[in-house]
Amino acid sequence: MPEAMHDRGRFWTPAPDWRAASLEGEGWRARRIHGLGQTLVSGDLDAARAALAPGAGEVGLWGVAGEGAGDGAYAARIARDRALLVTPSPLAAAPGWRDGFAVSPCDDLYAAVEISGPAMPQLVAEGTAADLEAGSRSAAVLFSGVSCLLYRAGPERARLHVESPFAAYIWTWLHGCVGRAPNRGATLQGA
Amino acid sequence: MQLFSCPFCGPRDETEFLFGAEAGKRRPEPAAEVSARAWGEHLHFAGNPKGPAREIWLHLTCGEFFAMERDTVSHAVSATRALRGGGQ
Repeated sequence: MPEAMHDRGRFWTPAPDWRAASLEGEGWRARRIHGLGQTLVSGDLDAARAALAPGAGEVGLWGVAGEGAGDGAYAARIARDRALLVTPSPLAAAPGWRDGFAVSPCDDLYAAVEISGPAMPQLVAEGTAADLEAGSRSAAVLFSGVSCLLYRAGPERARLHVESPFAAYIWTWLHGCVGRAPNRGATLQGA
Repeated sequence: MQLFSCPFCGPRDETEFLFGAEAGKRRPEPAAEVSARAWGEHLHFAGNPKGPAREIWLHLTCGEFFAMERDTVSHAVSATRALRGGGQ
């Protein structure tokens, strides 16, 4: 019987079992963070934060999130008028327009990957050409060629929010770094 | 590697940017009265200046459209400016 359709199953990067997936390299480890609430807001970002997560701070590239009040909620800045509101659990906010801002719940749009350990900065620096120490108002950056949101959840904990369809690719990229020390030549610019 | 400076994000690698158009190039209006030749010139003819140029670029990761003044010979960027109020 002739094959009616091509089997494209092997074309895609195999996805790991995300519940159990973890990677450990020399001085760093990576895991996926589950259960975060993620909400895209655009327009008046101050009003959006006040309405959806009072006290939530804002974080840009390589900034440390959650340094203010806000019960663990923070806004990862994407653009001049756009941010990803990250909360410890889904907000269940109604989508749509409000007074000056728009809300788009997107808990599953981004996969959040956390990379931690003393060698984390060197590993992350290998993935992006941005000057991490210089920071940036926007956390959006190209990481291993893919648009991500990159910031820190602590001094030695980096978080990457990558669009879910690219999560397996990012994981494969990280897997390729296992078994060797992060490139010390990729130290943070300016550090 | 070359760095461009997004008016919102600051210096970023050139791979994060996309050329949009020559600045100041206005679409001919009204569309119903524009000849095929005028449309063709608008779409396919560019000034391509040798030296100082003013262009519209897009920062792909944050979505900011902005004007960039650069030298097409030396590739030196002299200024980038936001296209809407607020600037920095």
